Amino acid sequence: MLVRLNHVYKIYGEGLESEVRALDDVSLTIDRGEFVAIVGQSGSGKSTMMNVLGCLDIPTRGDYFLDGTDVRDLTDKELSHIRNRQIGFIFQQYNLIPSLTVLENVELPLIYQGINGQRRRDMAMEALDRVGLAGRVKHRPVEMSGGQQQRVAIARAIAANPPIVMADEPTGALDSHTGQEVLDFLRRLNREGTTVILITHDNSIAASARRIVRLADGKIVEDREQEVDWL
Amino acid sequence: MAVKFGQALKMAFRSILGNKGRSFLTMLGIIIGIASVMTIVSTVNGMNQESMKQFEAMGTNKINVSASTYNGTDVFDDLYDYCSSLGSDLVLGVTPNATMWDINVVYGSKSSKSMQKNEENMWNSGGEPDPNTALPPTAYLGSDQYAICNNFSLARGRDISNIDIKNYNQVCVMGARAARNFFNYADPVGQTVQVNGYPFTVVGVYEAKDPDSLWSMDNIIVFPYTARRQLNPNITMSEFVVKASSGEATVEVISRLSGFLAGLTNNGQNGWGYAYSENQWQESQNEYLAMISLVLGGIAAISLLVGGIGIMNIMLVTVTERTREIGIRRAIGAERSAIVTQFLIEAAMLCGMGGIIGIGVGTLGTRLAGKLLMQIDIWPSLGITAAAFALSVALGILFGIYPAAKASRLQPVEALRAQ
Repeated sequence: MLVRLNHVYKIYGEGLESEVRALDDVSLTIDRGEFVAIVGQSGSGKSTMMNVLGCLDIPTRGDYFLDGTDVRDLTDKELSHIRNRQIGFIFQQYNLIPSLTVLENVELPLIYQGINGQRRRDMAMEALDRVGLAGRVKHRPVEMSGGQQQRVAIARAIAANPPIVMADEPTGALDSHTGQEVLDFLRRLNREGTTVILITHDNSIAASARRIVRLADGKIVEDREQEVDWL
Repeated sequence: MAVKFGQALKMAFRSILGNKGRSFLTMLGIIIGIASVMTIVSTVNGMNQESMKQFEAMGTNKINVSASTYNGTDVFDDLYDYCSSLGSDLVLGVTPNATMWDINVVYGSKSSKSMQKNEENMWNSGGEPDPNTALPPTAYLGSDQYAICNNFSLARGRDISNIDIKNYNQVCVMGARAARNFFNYADPVGQTVQVNGYPFTVVGVYEAKDPDSLWSMDNIIVFPYTARRQLNPNITMSEFVVKASSGEATVEVISRLSGFLAGLTNNGQNGWGYAYSENQWQESQNEYLAMISLVLGGIAAISLLVGGIGIMNIMLVTVTERTREIGIRRAIGAERSAIVTQFLIEAAMLCGMGGIIGIGVGTLGTRLAGKLLMQIDIWPSLGITAAAFALSVALGILFGIYPAAKASRLQPVEALRAQ
């Protein structure tokens, strides 16, 4: 199994009256090749879940094994390496760097891997080609529509061919049509073997996942698999 | 570090260009600081060199040495050996500089005595002295390096040689004025003069240094110092001249000679000795310039400090503004060190660019200061230019450390939340 959360807690202000349990005794396993939607209302702990799963944050208690490695034992540098090589992030607000061109944004994770020159360019161009934006590489993010920006972000997430892609409300800022395109793309990625973890509050979007994990008040309240028509 | 340096430079350059106006304003502090430091240091340096040049042109680099022992032994041989050991990089020559009084030089009808009369008559007659009056020559004891030490060059014949000194040869060399006084315009070389009754052969004549002056430094006769055996056996040679190779060497040689003389005369118990340059004013002028440059340099250094703090301030603002960018970079795998490097390079590059502009302004300032203050042409030296650039980059790194460290300590999750 690729991801295993074992009695994980994420507690803010522990011991205080105002203590918040963003994750409260969560155990979860995700296998390679799954398409999981983590669903919940705002405040349910799904963003914290994403941060923990994405190695952006460390659980207060409990173990998190990613591909067999206990994340709690890792240094900041090793966590950076995991984020760089194992995980591709897609955010609601695209999170592109405005001062860089489309191509440079997509090259960024490759730069941090130390890949240089033509090889880096080729890998970035291939990723942009897959999202259908190979013709606009010299543009700045602000010169593009929201849908296009999100496709750039997807290209950036997949440029280094990570085994996991995590998408945090990837359609939240898009109209339903472009949102559907993004979802279609995530499905295609999943068909090609990438593990996709989709975080959303929108049940209709979660409907396209093969497995739904529902969070409420930091606890898993539902974990079910469903038939989907797109496989 | 995974990120290549060249890549990091490119990113920093992009970021600086992305905000030209602010980048320039930030650089301004560094530009002013570097330009003023450079102008001050280069101008003072140029003035120093200029006065050194004047110093050398005046026939200086000449060190006077006074030394003698209480038992009357001669220190010249020791001094000569010591100066030879210093090498020609420092010392070009050394000679006694003993004036002999009561020397009567006779050639035909002309003699020191008769010239003495001329001088008395001239005083008694009053009025404007005739510049062609023949006055008695001054007699010196010298070594084979007398000419070098006193900036004479030969017009005719040869100089006193080492052999003349060793063999007690009865020879002499005349200054141009003395030669004219005794021989008119005939060639003195090979002629014999009677000096206190001994025959001495004139072997050479020096080029005139000061042809128009009545009391000219050209009115001299120089004898090998061993000639004192005949001419004045009781004279003590306690005055010497050492010729240093340059203005800088002069200072160095004076300090070395002082040590040597202290040893030679056994710290005053067996004798005394000291070395000094006629142009002590030169040193005090240099000290004065050094003090001015220290004070002005201090002020300029403060302006650099202010500039550096300005850089730090702006870099802190930049870090705050780009918190989200830092979060994104961290999320997609930038290590802390990559963030530190990014902001350090950005600060160093900002300062380096400011430094380059500052060097340009400083060069103009130096040239202007040279023209206005001393009417001389000064260019900043390569060393000063390189040091100014290195200083500006170093300032960038120094004042970039805190903002860069702050940037790298941001937690990815919180940084991503920033707007």
